[in-house]
Amino acid sequence: MEQSEEGQQQQQQGVMDYVPPHAYQSGPVNAASHMAFQQAHHFHHHHQQQQQQQLQMFWANQMQEIEHTTDFKNHTLPLARIKKIMKADEDVRMISAEAPVIFAKACEMFILELTLRAWIHTEENKRRTLQKNDIAAAISRTDVFDFLVDIIPRDELKEEGLGVTKGTIPSVVGSPPYYYLQQQGMMQHWPQEQHPDES
Amino acid sequence: MADSDNDSGGHKDGGNASTREQDRFLPIANVSRIMKKALPANAKISKDAKETVQECVSEFISFITGEASDKCQREKRKTINGDDLLWAMTTLGFEDYVEPLKVYLQKYREVEGEKTTTAGRQGDKEGGGGGGGAGSGSGGAPMYGGGMVTTMGHQFSHHFS
Repeated sequence: MEQSEEGQQQQQQGVMDYVPPHAYQSGPVNAASHMAFQQAHHFHHHHQQQQQQQLQMFWANQMQEIEHTTDFKNHTLPLARIKKIMKADEDVRMISAEAPVIFAKACEMFILELTLRAWIHTEENKRRTLQKNDIAAAISRTDVFDFLVDIIPRDELKEEGLGVTKGTIPSVVGSPPYYYLQQQGMMQHWPQEQHPDES
Repeated sequence: MADSDNDSGGHKDGGNASTREQDRFLPIANVSRIMKKALPANAKISKDAKETVQECVSEFISFITGEASDKCQREKRKTINGDDLLWAMTTLGFEDYVEPLKVYLQKYREVEGEKTTTAGRQGDKEGGGGGGGAGSGSGGAPMYGGGMVTTMGHQFSHHFS
């Protein structure tokens, strides 16, 4: 998951350059800040395209993997446990043998997609450890994951939906609002939170 | 099921009489193993991230099962099969999952179909009664719950004396 050369070039060209707070004061929009905004917009668009490509590749790989599947005996997830979770719904009467098999594969794909989307947020925050707030970000940014909102506390979801974590919001007095930092891609200027609980 | 761990780990609980906590989730070791497949080699995963995903997966199963179960009730069927799950996924917005899973289900049914016909022939040779497993209306795959066969949306109860 390395950055493309184009992405690295953009970073070198000063997309991440610091813009002093006075640049955000009201008044006529000067050329420098306008250009910085355009650059940031271009960078953001490019970043989104990369993410989209990543997800398209993911689904293509899933299809390829399935087309080469021959073993239906060994599953990455236990069928009996899947069946138990299905049976927890009292309306469920009987389950065909194929249902847990399909679920085992569907759950594997679900875990992979959720993890991949969460990792995008991890990388945005220049970390190498995937944390709960990354899962929260993936949930809040993806429409089909709406059914998971009850799992993550609401305040956490709101934060992550903005693409900014507590650790990246600057506490410097008189600094520009954090959504400007996000637009300018300047989150790297602020210290990252450390999480000891890693595996 | 060679690759399944017995203990789900993660969410600890005193152990309820009806549904023990560990039965509500898929094993954390298995979930973690799958998560690692989506990440680069130098990536790490925090414990609470693993537990959150573990919880999300259970929610996913319940969410899809609920929709599939409603469909079966509307159609007055008792057995949830693979097609019901795929229909539920489409309805709930998981279209991306459906195409690969259709292929997967088709392949599974082919393999199971071969197995049952082979078993049937074996039974005939040995003089035993028809060896095919109870069909669920989906490629002759056996089903949990027994005593019921679903064919083209109709149920037939088996009464054994």
